[in-house]
Order: sequence, then C-alpha cells, then structure tokens
Amino acid sequence: MTILLTLPLALVLRGAIDTHLGASLMADRAADGVNWDWWQEFSAQASGLGTTFTPSVLGFATTLDSISSVLDGKAPNAAIAWALAFYLAGWAFLSGGIIDRYARQRSTRTYGFFAASGVYFFRFIRLGVVVGIIYWWLFVYVHPWLFDDVFVRLTRNLSIERTVFLWRVALYTIFGAVLMLVNLLTDYSKIRIVVEDRRSALGAFAAGGRFVRRRLGHVLALYWLNTVVFMAVLAVWALVAPGAGGAGPSMWGLFVFSQLYVIVRLLMKLQFIASQTALFQSHLAHVRYAASPTPVWPDSAAAEAVARSVRL
Amino acid sequence: MRTLAVFLLLSLAAVSAAGLQPPPQAAPEQLKVTPLPNQPIASAPSTPSTQSTPSPSTSTPSTQSTPSAPSTPSPRNANYEIDVRLDPDAKTLRGRETIRWRNISGAPTSELQFHLYWNAWRNAESTWLRERRLAGTYTKPQDDAWSAIDVSSLRVRDASGAWTDLTGQSRFIAPDDGNERDRTVMTVPLGRTIDPDATLEAEVVWTSKIPRPFARTGYIGDYFFIAQWFPKLGVLEERGWNTHQFHAATEFFSDFGVYDVAITLPRRFIVGASGREMQRGDNADGTTTHRYHGEDIHDFAWTASPDFIELSQRFQHPTLPAVEMRLLLQPEHQSQANRYFTAAAWTLKHYGEWFGAYPYGHVTIVDPAFQSESDGMEYPTLFVGGTRVLAPAHVQTPENVTTHEFGHQWWYGLVATNEFEHAWMDEGFNTYSTARVMDARFNPNRVALRYFGGFVPWTFEDIPLSRLENDRLDGYRLNAEADAPWFLTFTYWPGTARFISYNKTAVWMHSLERQVGWPTMQRIMSTYFERWKFRHPKPTDFFEVVREVTGRGNVTFFDEVYRSSNTFDYGVQEFTSAQIDDGRTTPTSPARYRTIVVVRRYGEATFPIDVVTTFANGERVKESWDGQDRRVIYTYERPVKAATVQVDPDRVLLLDINYTNNSRTLAPRTRAASLKWSLKWMTWLEDLMLTYAFFS
Repeated sequence: MTILLTLPLALVLRGAIDTHLGASLMADRAADGVNWDWWQEFSAQASGLGTTFTPSVLGFATTLDSISSVLDGKAPNAAIAWALAFYLAGWAFLSGGIIDRYARQRSTRTYGFFAASGVYFFRFIRLGVVVGIIYWWLFVYVHPWLFDDVFVRLTRNLSIERTVFLWRVALYTIFGAVLMLVNLLTDYSKIRIVVEDRRSALGAFAAGGRFVRRRLGHVLALYWLNTVVFMAVLAVWALVAPGAGGAGPSMWGLFVFSQLYVIVRLLMKLQFIASQTALFQSHLAHVRYAASPTPVWPDSAAAEAVARSVRL
Repeated sequence: MRTLAVFLLLSLAAVSAAGLQPPPQAAPEQLKVTPLPNQPIASAPSTPSTQSTPSPSTSTPSTQSTPSAPSTPSPRNANYEIDVRLDPDAKTLRGRETIRWRNISGAPTSELQFHLYWNAWRNAESTWLRERRLAGTYTKPQDDAWSAIDVSSLRVRDASGAWTDLTGQSRFIAPDDGNERDRTVMTVPLGRTIDPDATLEAEVVWTSKIPRPFARTGYIGDYFFIAQWFPKLGVLEERGWNTHQFHAATEFFSDFGVYDVAITLPRRFIVGASGREMQRGDNADGTTTHRYHGEDIHDFAWTASPDFIELSQRFQHPTLPAVEMRLLLQPEHQSQANRYFTAAAWTLKHYGEWFGAYPYGHVTIVDPAFQSESDGMEYPTLFVGGTRVLAPAHVQTPENVTTHEFGHQWWYGLVATNEFEHAWMDEGFNTYSTARVMDARFNPNRVALRYFGGFVPWTFEDIPLSRLENDRLDGYRLNAEADAPWFLTFTYWPGTARFISYNKTAVWMHSLERQVGWPTMQRIMSTYFERWKFRHPKPTDFFEVVREVTGRGNVTFFDEVYRSSNTFDYGVQEFTSAQIDDGRTTPTSPARYRTIVVVRRYGEATFPIDVVTTFANGERVKESWDGQDRRVIYTYERPVKAATVQVDPDRVLLLDINYTNNSRTLAPRTRAASLKWSLKWMTWLEDLMLTYAFFS
C-alpha cells in the first residue's frame, strides 16, 4: 500500500525532472551523483510536488525531515496530503484484519483477513473521525499556542541557545506526550472494537481510555519497550542510510536497501499493534479471544448474523 | 514513549550533525597566528562619582581630535568625542558628544544634518518599519521593543569661541520619501555659512531608549549591541547634504574621522568597541569608564556583556602588518574560538595579499548572543560573526560569516561607499571576495539543512558547496529582474534588495573575473582599493579603474549588469545530427551527417559566448558568437554524427539563469537521472507517510 500510493506521485515528480533536464548534459552529473547546480535551478522553477524535492530526500535526512515535520506542525503539500489521507484510510481498512489476526493468534487466511478488514473498516472510519477531530484541534490550536505563543514568551528574553533549545525540547515533549496519549487511546480503542466486537466508536474510545487509565503502568511499559526497539531501528538507519549514489544497478541496490528500512518501519507498526493486542487480551479477555465469530468473506458480520438467525 | 524515540533521535542527530572533529585547520607554514594574553589597558585613577547625565562640555577642543593633518590616511573631517553612560536596567543611554567637523566639499553650507537612526523604531510609521511591511518581514514590535533618540541640547561654537544654542531650531526632515512620521534625519540651521575647508564645532546632548534587537542593534538579557547610536552627521557633498533616512534594506554612510569615546557602565560588563581601548577606570558608583580611541574610521559601535569570554591572537605575515585579533566569545561557543580566529586570519591574509593591507593593527570580533539579531554585521575595526551551538565541522557557515564581515573592513570600512545609494559596491564586492576566500581555504564545505525549529542541523556530505553557491547564484536566479543596480539602493524593492546588492554583483564580478582572468581582476580590485581607501568612491570610479586596468571599458557588460535588470539566458534550441540523404549517396560511398545547431538567446541581456559542438569521433568545433541576435544557426557536415553541443561550456557567463538548457546531447541520461531521483524522493515520501501513520 505504501508503494502503491507513493509510486504515482513519484512518477509525477519524475516527469517534472525529465521535462526540466530535457536532453541536457546536466543529466550526466545528476545521474552519477548530486548536481546541486541543476537541483537549485530545478527548485527555482518547481511548483507543486517539485517544491518538495529537497536534499531531505537523501539518507537519514528523510527520517529527520518527516519527524520534524510532524513535531513542527508543517502542513504537507496538497498532493501529498491527499495521498496521506488515502494512506490513513488504507490503514483503517487493514487494521481490522491485522488486529483480528493478532487477537486470534492463528491464521485467518486471506479471506478471513480481508473479511475482518471489511467488517471493522467503517467502525474505524468513525473512530478516525473522532480521533481526527482531536488531532485537528491539536495541530490547529494547541501546536500554534505552544510553539508560536508559549515558546516565544518563554524564550523571548533568553540569549543562550542551549536554554532556548531545551525549552523547545520540553515543548516537543509535552506536545509529543499528548500525541502519544491520543495514539494510545486510538490503539486500544481499535483493539477493543475488534476483540470486544464494539460498534460504537465513541464507546470504544471511552473504553480504550479506561483501559489505559487503569493499567497505565503496563501500557506505558509496553510502549516504552516498543519505543526502544523503534529507536534502535532509527539509530541503525542513521548510520547506514544511503546517500545519493549513482544510476544503474547500484541505484536499484540502494533503493531495495531503502525499501528494507520501509519494511522494518512497517514491521515496527505491526509490533506495536500485536503487543498491545496481547496486553489487552491478557488483562481484559484471554489469549486468542475475540468476541465476534470469524467473519467469512465476502459476507459481512451483519450477513453472518442474519444467516445465524435463519439457522436458529 | 513512542515520542521519546523522537527526542533520543534528536540527540543522535545533533551529535552526528554537529560533528566532533575540529574544523579544517590552516596550514601552519602559510598562516601564523599566535595566542596573546589579554591586552594591558592603562588604568585611570578612580573618580569619586560620575554624573548620571553627562553635562555639556566647556572644555577647549581636544588635541586628539584636531581636524586632519595632511599626512593622515583619511580626511578626518568628522571627529567625535563622545561620553556615554549605559543604564542596563533602564535600557537607556545618556550621551554627550563634541563634533569637530570640517567642510571638505566644494560647496558652502548653512545647516547641519544629523542621522538619528534609533528613531526608526520610535513608531510604526517610520520609513524603516513601513518598508519592512512592504518586504513582508514585519512583525509588530511588542511594547518594550521600541526605541528613541532625543536630542536635549545642541549648540555650536561661533567664530569668537562662544556657544550658540540651536536646540529649538532643529527639525526633522524626510529627504527620501517625505514621510512626516519619520524622525531619522534632523536638520539644524546654523545661521551662518560654513565655507569649504572651514571648520565647525558642535555639541550634542541626547538620551536614548535602547531597542530590543532591530537591525542588529539593541539588547537581549545582559547582552547589549550598540550601533548607530549617536547623533551622527550626514555627508556634505557638492550638491548638498547626503543624509538619507534609515531604510530597511540599506545601511550607512558617513565621513572619516577620529573617535574618542568614553563608555561608562557597571563594572561587571566586558566591553568591545571600535578602535582601541586606551584607558579604563573604575568609578566610585560601581561603574567603569572605558576610553576608546579610533582613527580614520567613519563609525563607532560597541558591545557589552558580562558573559563574554575574552581571547586574543596575533596575526603575522611576512609582508602584511601584524594584527591583534580580540575575540569576545559566548560561553556556549567556547569550542568554536578557533573557527573564528582561523577565518579571520585567512581573511587578513587573502584580502591583504589580493587587495591591500589592513591598516589598523587590531580588530575586535564579537560572537553575538543568541536571538540578539546582531550577527553578521560590520563596523570599523569591529565586526560581529555568527555561529550556532550545533555547527557542523563541514558546514562552513561560521567561517563564511566571519570572512564576510571582516571583509567589510576593506569594502565599506576602508573603501567607504555610500551604502544608501550603492550598497552593491560594498555588499556585492565583499560577497565576491568572500567567495574567493571560501573557495581557497574552507573545504570541504557542505550543504546542511536544519530541522526541529532550526536547532538541529544535518550535513549532506553528498552535496559540496562550490564557488557559485558562495557567490549566491541561486538567490540571484530567483530575483534577477527585481531591480537594476543603477538605481539608488534605498529605492529597491525592500523584499529583494539584497539579491541585487549581494548576489547579482558577486555573480557578475565572478563572470568578469572569468572573462579577464584572475591576475587582471586582482589588479582591478587592488588598484581600486589603493586608490579609494579612506574615500567615498562612486560607481563610475570603479568602472574607470576597470577601463584603466583592462584597457577597455566593458561598456556593454556594465550596461547589462549595472544599468539594466535584463536576464541572461542562452540555450540550445535545436540539435540534430542525421545522415545526409540527397539522392547521390551510393552503398559504397561513406556516410555523411548533417548536424544542425540552433542556439537561442532567450533572455534580453547579451554577452559574447562560445558554442562547442563535439562529434562522435571526439572532434570539437568551437564557435564564438557575439550573442547579439535572437539566435544563431550552425550547420556542419561530417563523416560522423555529433554527440553534444554546449553553449558557454567554460561557464564564463555565470549570470545565465538557466544553465540546464545550455547543453544538449544525442545520448541523454535524463531517464536514468530522473529515475534515480524519483526513487529517492519516493523513499522520502514513504518515510513521511509512515511517520504520519505512526500516530493513526
């Protein structure tokens, strides 16, 4: 899905680069390494997606840029925002199948996976609306208040950069902690929707909140463990992330290597989901327990219920 | 905790980005810099007390500030004796100055005109703030940010030696835009005429409210940077007073003189200033008076902070005068002292060898406090650098700033152009000169971007910075048509003025260097420097030197780069190479190919350029085109196909805003390049989407 959504945009950018380079000899240096001269010229004339083609596409800067974008509340380019919306919707679809699979701890086969995805999709979309409103409020009101108002007031008279930076880190911590909390509530809401077959997004969100509140130590400990692993992944990536490289086979080698990192990042997301599902089941259900019957594709849970009632 | 990862990541990035290796060092055999102990300063006997408001002087003129003797390097026609007291709690200055001025113009005058720069932030309708709004860089100042300078007494001594009070006769004028709310220029009628070569003594008493940082002046915390702070005379020229209002995009202009400045402030402060500290005396009220003396300078700035770390080194060179370099460093930048000294020493060496010696024997380098906005600015014998806590070793920004600001001692300090009217003559010349030093000495130099609110840098080792980046070609390209340098700088559009003053000039000077060669260019610059140091040249004076040294006027070139805002853009319009099929070819006759090259002038500006066509057998055909027509067509018949064509292959014309269209190949690698970069971008996008999805 990640490739599926990014590939068309990459093709658009490629077209823009093709058009700008034409049959110029500047392409030689751009192919063999970095032609900064050309790059600046391209940027000067770029619009749309082209404006996002900056040195941040190189090496570990990709990761720094993306995390910095979130914490600094930078709005993505319009085309990227649309892709992002589809991507998040895609995750809302897949999450049902993923959690269902982890909850049952046995193979649900492809049809079972997608059936579960279908069953929970609209519930997750409703949950997404609730969470989206919270995130919208955080980024549109809380973030500017913290970083454009509080930060400025706190640091206005400071003449030592380290102190100013520490204040910024403190505010990142506060803002990040709020994001983390919303993220935790969302994660456990989704788990409760699947494991307990909940229909109400608001009810699930409240239930997720109760679970987090009553078992805060366990929840945070697990989050911390996952975070350590995540950090280790990023640290390794920081050391090995490839630079520009050249064209030809080495280019494909570097691309495949980069995709391995993307896969590890995806695995990390699955790790969070799996471990949190297991934690929930160990406290409020039992291992392999899921309230709803295994959905059978293409029937929805409703169709399955109707069939059951007919049998009765 | 997922978020915790981000913060630990920040730390990791910071450590990686900052780089722990020391910055590149100068080769010891080429650059001799020795540490110095702190300078001994003569002590003055303690005074019982100091007056809170300096009172008007009744003394006779000091012999130190006597208007120029013929042997002095500069005319020394605007001499200032200033006594100022800083109240760091009230953020005020109280000052008294005695000005001894000589009319060195050929025209008489019956008035004096003063700059009162700090009134630029007295109200929101000053010309400075109006222009800031136009530039789109305006933020409404908070209540404690405003400043003011108020003259409470102004009197002049008449021929009999008696003082005449003119305080009530002063008024504000706005010679540039008629803005009645602007109070940055004050005129005072004298009631008599000062003829050419006659002298005048005036005394001014004033108080100032120090701004929060504006235009590299003001305070933050205990750090004070005090520039453009005293009532300063304009420059009298043949056509009258040249006293411009304070503008957002321009700097300053004043006559040379001798400055004797006594600065009184609490004892805990460490002070740096233009000139040399001659005497220091503690007062009974807990203050210290620092007495500075500077000769043949045209401005005076000073700074004070209790936190400065004071370091000194001596620059020595076989043929250039030794220079004592005093560095006032922020404690958080202690590890970067050597970067400042090294850059300053290379500047002394290269500017000295290329253009002419730095004559003062001392310089004060100020490392500014964070958020002071005083970074990157020049004043006579004192300049302000700029660095960050995380300053990667391979990103030579601190060196660039140091070199540039120190370089202004040559192009502004010594060759004192009118920055209101011809800012390109110091900013552009100095950007060009800085780029040469950076290219010669500070490698590797890499591109870096800053993340997390600008605090965390990341160095791109894949992207080396070249001379072109130091010339700032990129900024020029984006704003090439904004203004013609021929117009007075203060009339440029405020938002883009710097791209014309700095970038365009540096790029065309580099182009001129590539045209005439560095030896000739060096002669141009050194001749211009020697001829115009301690004076106020105008653009025609520089063009005249170019004509004299090169033997030609480069009239067309200067018409294009100075008198117009036209852009240069030459490109390949068509490039084909195909076998000739004229019906006479037989199977046994060797194939022949017709190559057609169409070169087009897309821009309005013209420049003579070379066009080089390379054939498959390696043959290169070079054509020289005067570049005047809209296009030129070259046709070749060869037994082989052509391979490439390049317009201006040696890239003499750096001003060409679109160099990508300057070449064409029949075997392009465009697809390979675009594929590689779109895959890189795709990974970046995947990372971004995963990061957002992390919180979903």
